[in-house]
Amino acid sequence: MNMIKISHISKRLGDFTLKDIDLSINEGEYFCILGPTGSGKTILLETIAGIYKPDSGSIMVNQDDMTFRPPRDRNIIMVYQDFVLFPNMDVRKNIEFGLHYNGPGSGREQMSEKVKDTAEMLGIGHLLNRHPSTLSGGEKQRTAIARAIITEPKMLLLDEPLSALDTGTKGRLMQELLRIHRLKRTTTVHVTHSFEEAFTLADRIAIMHEGRIHQTGTPDEVFRKPNSRFVADFVGVENLFHGRSVIRDDISEIEVNGSIMFSSTLRSGDVSVSIRPEDILVTKEHIESSARNSFSGVVTDVTRMRSTVKLVIDAGIPFRVELTTRAFDKMKLNTGMKVYLTFKASATHLI
Amino acid sequence: MQRAGFRQITLALMILLTLFIFALIFEIISHTDTVSLITNIVSPEIQFAIRLSLMTSLISTMMCIIVAVPVSYALARYDFHGKALITTILDLPMALPPIVAGLGLLLVFGTTAIGHYLTDLGLKFVFTPLGIVMAQFTVNISLMLRIMRSTFEGINPRYEHVAQTLGCTPFQAFIKTTLPLSKNGMLAGSVITWSRAMGEFGAVLMLAGATRMKTETLPIALYLNMSSGELDLAIASATILIGISAVTLYLFERKGGIAKLH
Repeated sequence: MNMIKISHISKRLGDFTLKDIDLSINEGEYFCILGPTGSGKTILLETIAGIYKPDSGSIMVNQDDMTFRPPRDRNIIMVYQDFVLFPNMDVRKNIEFGLHYNGPGSGREQMSEKVKDTAEMLGIGHLLNRHPSTLSGGEKQRTAIARAIITEPKMLLLDEPLSALDTGTKGRLMQELLRIHRLKRTTTVHVTHSFEEAFTLADRIAIMHEGRIHQTGTPDEVFRKPNSRFVADFVGVENLFHGRSVIRDDISEIEVNGSIMFSSTLRSGDVSVSIRPEDILVTKEHIESSARNSFSGVVTDVTRMRSTVKLVIDAGIPFRVELTTRAFDKMKLNTGMKVYLTFKASATHLI
Repeated sequence: MQRAGFRQITLALMILLTLFIFALIFEIISHTDTVSLITNIVSPEIQFAIRLSLMTSLISTMMCIIVAVPVSYALARYDFHGKALITTILDLPMALPPIVAGLGLLLVFGTTAIGHYLTDLGLKFVFTPLGIVMAQFTVNISLMLRIMRSTFEGINPRYEHVAQTLGCTPFQAFIKTTLPLSKNGMLAGSVITWSRAMGEFGAVLMLAGATRMKTETLPIALYLNMSSGELDLAIASATILIGISAVTLYLFERKGGIAKLH
């Protein structure tokens, strides 16, 4: 019972191309398309929404051919990175926009009730009379999401919805997206270049690069078994460990191979832990810092790249870290030397 | 020392030019005294010219908007073969001397089958007020297209994309988002189009002729009265045209529309 089946979609548009895209997205699923900037992710979403017609291939929703249907008949709604709130309308008018064109016309009163409920669900109930230009980034994106979900779409397309926001807002809105998805179970396709978003939100992910889908699977599958050189390079330098997590004092404590790590992602039970190599600080002396995670280990492997050096450090757990060549040379590191590793709980992601 | 000299020369030239332009305007306005100026403005001939100019320029401006909105939207949003060529042809009336455009209009409406057919339908353009409207429209449509095109190009097409996914037809999406957002550009374009229509002479002269009290717009009145030595009447219509230009320039600058022309 695939909700949406995209078969062999190809599309040329200016400098961008989609090449033979095959994707199946299940009903109620949160699906992330992960790829570097410029890989054609936005055009893929716009093609699913019906804004562009594919040059070849088909899009089926519940066995219903949607390939050439106009956007208005699809009930698939798009939310863009730059919010695209209508500047000629206030927040209320923006949110209720879709109600005027969808389904049986509901009365004025019902409509304003629905706008109020949706706005409150997103925590923007007090902003209804404001003009979009007076809102913060987070408020704008909440408004855009409210405008999208009020029509109860079959599918929600989110194009880098968190990229234009500052870190704090990003984290809060990510939790919000998770909460709304649990509440509404709207099938969601979320395009991003951020690993963290994909891990936190997605049931399944697809890795996209230069107009092609390289791999599809659960985040854990893709990270542990990359099926191509590109995917391996794109995701493979990660530190990925398995452990058991308990939440204590608003922080996750994860036991990995007898060592304890801390993560600010709150999740308990069996988890996968990922830390990006560049988030780990390497020092020759032990340092006191506010970072929660601190390990000592021995350098077991050194690989010189063009401008960086990759190290493997055995601290009971094998950590992969990456230094600039300059830093590496300055520290005069070598295999067999003892070093200290420090990283923040917020850099420790749980899947 | 040399640098100071250069600075002074440029500034002096600037002042001279300003004085020169001011002198032109001042000479026209101050040529008659206020009482006779007013007397001439309320004379039947100038009153007729004012009314005819207002009517024809308002209608031709409306026509420019009605035609320019869809055409410039197509130019702004769609890619197609021959776009560069079409754009050049559409820009041509702006670069053409109006009197040449007027000759073309006279030949099209006066000598071709299409022209005769329209005349049979009652749409007579040659030597009629209808011809004034057509001449103004032809000369001004290029500029209106340019202004509307750059206005539409400055509006994110994603507004319409979102509106369409929310259930709008392409036309509804345009009416609800892009059109209201193009308000400023449209206003600036209308003001400048209208003012140019008020002052249009060459094309009007060719197609509609210069018949006293029939196809006599303000510029035609200026021309006819100069030819027959009625300097005071000529100055009355010139003064009104100066007033219109001043108001237009003010409105246009205030809307920041000049920048949109480039």
